[in-house]
This record gives sequence, C-alpha cells and structure tokens, in this order.
Amino acid sequence: MIRTVNLYKRFGELTVFSDLNIHIQKGECVAVIGPSGTGKSVLFRTLALLERPDGGQVFINGKEITGRDVNINNIREKFGMVYQGFHLFSHLNVLDNITLAPLKVKKVDRKEARERAMELLSMVGLSEKFSSFPHQLSGGQQQRVAIARSLAMDPDIILFDEPTSALDPSMTGEVLAIIRKLARSGLTMMISTHEMGFAQDVASRVIYMDEKGIYEEGLAEQIFNNPQREKTRMFIRKLKVFSYSIISRGFDMVSMNVQIEMFCQKYNIELKKINHIQLVLEELILEVLAGLYTDVQPQIEFTVEFSEERGEILITFNCKGREFNPFENKDDADHLGIILISGISKKISHNYSNGLNTININI
Amino acid sequence: MKQRMNLYVLKTGDLSLVEFVNSVANSFDKNIIDNNGWLVILKGLEITLFISITALLAGTIIGALLCSMRISKVGALKISAKIVIAFLRGSPVLLLLMVFYYVVFANSRFDAVFIAIIAFALNSGAHIAEIMRSALSAVDVRQLEAARMLGFSKIRAFMAITLPQATRIAKPVYQSATINLVQWTSVVGYVSITDLTRTVNNIGARTGDPFFALFFGILIYLAISYMVNFIFSLQGRKKITL
Repeated sequence: MIRTVNLYKRFGELTVFSDLNIHIQKGECVAVIGPSGTGKSVLFRTLALLERPDGGQVFINGKEITGRDVNINNIREKFGMVYQGFHLFSHLNVLDNITLAPLKVKKVDRKEARERAMELLSMVGLSEKFSSFPHQLSGGQQQRVAIARSLAMDPDIILFDEPTSALDPSMTGEVLAIIRKLARSGLTMMISTHEMGFAQDVASRVIYMDEKGIYEEGLAEQIFNNPQREKTRMFIRKLKVFSYSIISRGFDMVSMNVQIEMFCQKYNIELKKINHIQLVLEELILEVLAGLYTDVQPQIEFTVEFSEERGEILITFNCKGREFNPFENKDDADHLGIILISGISKKISHNYSNGLNTININI
Repeated sequence: MKQRMNLYVLKTGDLSLVEFVNSVANSFDKNIIDNNGWLVILKGLEITLFISITALLAGTIIGALLCSMRISKVGALKISAKIVIAFLRGSPVLLLLMVFYYVVFANSRFDAVFIAIIAFALNSGAHIAEIMRSALSAVDVRQLEAARMLGFSKIRAFMAITLPQATRIAKPVYQSATINLVQWTSVVGYVSITDLTRTVNNIGARTGDPFFALFFGILIYLAISYMVNFIFSLQGRKKITL
C-alpha cells in the first residue's frame, strides 16, 4: 500500500536518512521507534510530501507520488496525520474542525458531514463537546478531536507522529485507547512513539530507526523480546553502558572505581550494588594479573550494562591471552576473591574462543 | 426652559448656574444656529468622513499589497516593500501631504481632497501593511500544515485557516489605526480643505467665541471614534454567533 524505494532526505549537510525502504501492507499497524532525532517525524513528513525527499520514490497503491505531474492535494486526502501538538484550527469549534475539510475539499453535503462528525465524536467519546473551542479542551481531548478530524476524510492510512508525547501521563491512556481501537478495526497506520508497552501491544510490525535509516525491523514480538542488533537491544531494554579498558599493569584502579561510581549514580543504582560491581571487577582484574607472567601486559576490556527496564546489571569481562577460567576450582582457599564473586553474583558464565576469554556476570 | 430656570432662581436665589447655562445657550445660538453654522459644520464633517473612509479603503488595499510584497520570497519585492514602508511610516503625514500638494501635484488639476486621500491612504497603508504582517506571523503555521494534510490547496488553506485567524488578531490594532487616521485628517486645513476642524476654527474666529466652537469640534471627533468602535464591535459579535 505504501512503499518507498531508496528514500533519501537531508537538511543541508546533515543526512537524516538514506536508502530507506519500507513497505506497508493494507491493514497493518506499524510502530516506528528509535531515539529522538533519528528522523521518525521527518520520515512521516516526507511520506506525506510535507518535506520533499532529496532522492528515492514513494509509491501509494503502486502509483508513484514523488513524480512531477502528481496533484499533491489529491494524494494528501489519502493521508491522515495526527501531530504531537494537535494543531486543531483554533478559530473553529470542535464540530467545524471536523467538518471543514469534508465540506470544502470533498464537497460533502452539510447535513451528511455533520452526521458523520457526530458519529466520529461519539467514537472518540466527546459527543457532548461538539460546540467547544479547542482552547477549552484538555490536551487529551484535543488529540482525540484531531484523530476524529483526520478520520473524517476517510484516509487510506493515518500517520501518528508521537501522538502522546505532548500529553501528561494522566491523558495518554484515553488517546492510546482510541488508537488501539482503530488498529483493531483494521485501519492502516504508522505510529511513531516512545511508549514501548503500547507499541508492543498495538503494532504488528516494528521499525527501529537509527544510524540514518532503518536499523532493524521485524515483527513486534521479535523486536521486543529478541532484538538481533546491539543498538536495538540497548534501546528496547533501556540499557546504559559503561566500558573501560586496561592495557597496563600500572592502571589507575582508584580512577576506575570513581568512574564506575559516577556512572552508577547517574542511573540511581543503589550503593550496595555499586560496591558489589566494584568488588567483582577488582577481584577479577587482580585474578587475571596474578595469572599472567610478570613481563606480559594485560589486555582487559569490560562493560557494565544497566537495564533501567529490568533493574539488572550485567558485567561483560573480556581478556585476551591463554584460556583462563577463574571459576573452575571454586573452593580454592588461595582465591578468596573468586569465592566472594560467586557469592555476590546471580549467574556466571565463561567462554573461550580465538584467544579471547569472555566472562559474563549478572548481579 | 426659561420658565423652569426662573422657577429655580426663585426657589434657591442662586444665579451663577443660571448665568452659566445662559452663556452656553447663547454661545450655542451664536456659533451653531446663527448664519446656519450647523450646516457649515455638517459640510466639514462630510469632507472629514469622506477623506477618512476613502483613505481607509485605499489604505487597506495598499496595505495588503505592501504586506504581500513584504512577505514574498522574491528578494527585490521584499526589499522595495521594506523601503517604501519604512519611508511612509517614518515621515510625518502632514509633510507628506504638503509635499504632494505643493510639489508633486502642484501643476496638476487634481482636487485638494483627492490629493489628501492619496497622502493618507499611503501613510495608513504602510501602517496597515505592518499590522497585517504581524497578524499573519502570529498565526500557527502548523494549523496551515494540518489543513494541507487534509487536502486543502495552499490558497484555500490560507483562506480557510490563516486569514480568519489573522483578521481576528489584527482587528484591535486595525481599529485604533482607523481612529488615528480620522484624527490625523484634521490637518488637511493646511492644504486649503475645509474639513471639520477648519470649519469649527473658522466659526470660532468669526464669532469671537473660539472655545465653544473648538470644543464642539472635539465632541464631534469623539462621537466619530465611538461610532468606529461601535461598528467594529458589531463585526465581532457576528463572528461569534456564526
């Protein structure tokens, strides 16, 4: 139904996305997620030709709309757009907001337009507000009117551009409920959103945008439960990562500990856990150093990942060299540190390949 | 009236009020009634209103033109509009009027009233252009975009969304510009037009009672201002019921 071929958009020197190919089937609900500034809004605006693409094509029902001889106004009737900031017509009341386009663009009969508008208003639960002006409504109500306004033109597809980002949490529910209802009724739609739970729930397919294009896409279930690529995983799990590398015996352990502490405090990790992280790393590093010949410099890299969503901490510890698994003989009294680590950790795993030891520790 | 007055004097013995009322009535007779003074004033009022209304209409058209040039994307139009507006707004309207009357149209056969209308239309046109521009820029462009998304063409979206909102924003400023214009027309006496100000001045000079005549003139200007406000408020009321 909508298909793009190598869509390319830039603002001056800055490329927003390039080689972007999407294909949306009729009746699909596609969620577009990704960090801010990765071009989700620009993508929507480009699809609706509010922004001219700098390259590539957009097809609707097999017809190219990026060509020269296309009447944009006719095409736009097929698009509905719901904005983050609502943008209701402030000089018209709710009913006129909804009937304006059907009356003036579609030339629908006045009585018919009003009946349809009242129908839509009752669908979004605002029947009694038909004579109010936009400034008299709450944000959530305004957004519901905006949804009704775009539905009044019977669009083939509705683009929801962060429909709840400007709303306070008490109002997002009412708007999301309506979008859910529309999705269930089989309306084709694209939603860009930061509400992950909602996206997972309503979308059949998910597009993750990052690095100037589509970074990963797939079924909602797959993207949310089993993301394949690094950045997607970090975004979905709300991972915060701290990495550090050691290439000399004379590294500054105090500075390392301070950095770890600062990282942890930024994400409000409790003090006890911070101590545990530091302890585990210290012991591991000392253990590695003790196992090396004195003239060999260590090659250690580790990352601390904190998942805000689950409150979990994962330490990934890499060291190059010969195989080395400090957890093999646990009861060794010489390695008190290892016993300590085993006591603190929930799960420990070790893996050796291509001269690289990888130790994963969950705390 | 006289009987009542006499009655009042008999009752209170106070003559000062009677003297005052008598002098006012006397001045009124002398200035307004005698020699058909009121007809002359009416003639002057007509001139004032004619100049004001025509200049306002022409000024609005000129303003719209200047404004559309000012906001156009063509650099030459934009800059020339900017210069014209700056010049017209920056020069005193009386000097503008005199330049037109004594220099530009000195050898033409144009009526002084016509020349005055040109001068005032240009001056108020420049002001109105800026009023329109600020009103247009105050309208939310995203609403225009929302209308485009619903299938409106550029021009129709402008007519349906931007124009009504801009009109509403501009109205109070436009209203005071109108009243300003009416009052500024009082200087047309400088170019030999017998407008309202000139007539009351003449009458005052003739009767030797300038205070009353001039004060009467002020009252008429005041009445015009109220009239303007009333007309604008009518338009506002209609909007809401629509």
